[in-house]
Amino acid sequence: MKQTGTFGFVRVARYTEAVEYQKKAESRALRLEQQLETSREQSRGWKAKADQAHEALKQVQKTAAETRQKLERAEARAADLQVLQQRLAESERALTVAREQLMAIEVKLDILEGAANVLDARTRTVLMRRTATERGAPV
Amino acid sequence: MAPLSDRSSVTSHDRTPPTVSIVLTGRNDDYGVGFEARFFRTLRFNHRELTSRGIAYELVFIEWAPPQDRPRLVDRVFDAVPDLDPGVCRWYVVDAQYQAALSLNPRLVYLEFVAKNVGVRRAAGRFVLTSNCDVYFGRVVLDALARGSLMDGVVYRAARYDLKAEIGDGNPGWPEIEDPANLDGRPRSLRPPFMAGGTGDFVLLDRGTFHEMRGFNEVYRVARIGIDRNFLVKALSMGLTIEDIGGPVYHVNHAGSYRLTVHDYEGREGEAPWGNRRWHSSGVVYNNAPAWGLSEAPQRQLAKGVWFLDFSWDAVPPLVDLRGVVLPVSRLGGPRPGRYVSRM
Repeated sequence: MKQTGTFGFVRVARYTEAVEYQKKAESRALRLEQQLETSREQSRGWKAKADQAHEALKQVQKTAAETRQKLERAEARAADLQVLQQRLAESERALTVAREQLMAIEVKLDILEGAANVLDARTRTVLMRRTATERGAPV
Repeated sequence: MAPLSDRSSVTSHDRTPPTVSIVLTGRNDDYGVGFEARFFRTLRFNHRELTSRGIAYELVFIEWAPPQDRPRLVDRVFDAVPDLDPGVCRWYVVDAQYQAALSLNPRLVYLEFVAKNVGVRRAAGRFVLTSNCDVYFGRVVLDALARGSLMDGVVYRAARYDLKAEIGDGNPGWPEIEDPANLDGRPRSLRPPFMAGGTGDFVLLDRGTFHEMRGFNEVYRVARIGIDRNFLVKALSMGLTIEDIGGPVYHVNHAGSYRLTVHDYEGREGEAPWGNRRWHSSGVVYNNAPAWGLSEAPQRQLAKGVWFLDFSWDAVPPLVDLRGVVLPVSRLGGPRPGRYVSRM
């Protein structure tokens, strides 16, 4: 029999069991403490990772916003480009028409110039003849 | 005289219309040195070849504004070409006043295409071939005429091969004409879409369509060069087809020909006897007046098959007809009208 404390006596087997239990409890407590410490470390790691992820998320969000802005600008540019292309095609058509009209005008001017020269020559002939007749000179 | 419809000929034919009317124009002014001899030689050859193939043809000759001091071609041709049957010839002598009245450029002493229009308007053949007096028809051309397989609404063109001037000294036959050694320069080829190049030497088209087109440009009488190309531009604008007939015609080079003298006028183009070469012949087309081809000119018969076109202001188209200058139509699948070319 073992005396336990001041008043009680327990049997040896019971005492041994209690000591064993205590050892196990202490050992478990130690393990739990270690696990707790590990968990704390992991927690700190995760927290750091979460912070990083959060930071990355913020960065990505920022990049996404910038990209969205760029996309909007590009879309606006594309629309402008399409308008410009339409304007270019219209200008080319207008240029072709203008050139065609210019050709027609130049041809008409050739005709008018030729006619003016011919009429000038004819008028001069008539006038010279008339002048010669008025002066009594032989025609 | 009442105006003629566009489709009608000025002359009436009491015999079966020929397959083809060959329209030529010339005058005895020694153009290009020895014109008369060159013309008669060529006519002998072509007449012989056409006749031997049994091609029913008529010769419509426009003796344009002949000089007073020289014998007229009509008075010499049947002696010079005895085989030529006067019955297949219709000869029109045109009063010289028409040249003066029509001229818009005093340097052009021969309004060649107005003269050709006089013939086209009066042609009776189912087809009309306009050519020049010194052009020999090649075998393929003659065979095509003989076969009679030509189609309406198709402008047939033939490439022009230039032969050395000395070939024209004798009476050239097939051996001389077809000998590649006698070619003066590389033979030309016709390139789409216009198939132009020496066009004045060969344009073959059915008479109905030729009349629908109202012949060659009579509105722009400022230049001689490019009028034939301008006809092709109008043909395409009207939706006609232009085809190579498949073989050449032959031209014997001679002094005074455009090809040999064009460089003599470099730097002084304004003095050239063919007018402005750079006018927009590919960029505009024309609408001749209904009385094109001097159809209102009073005709006086001089002899069987010979007429004189007396001068009348009624027959002269307006000096200026700006509404007759129009832009060609660009057709789907067809060529675009000519591009503007600066004339600097």
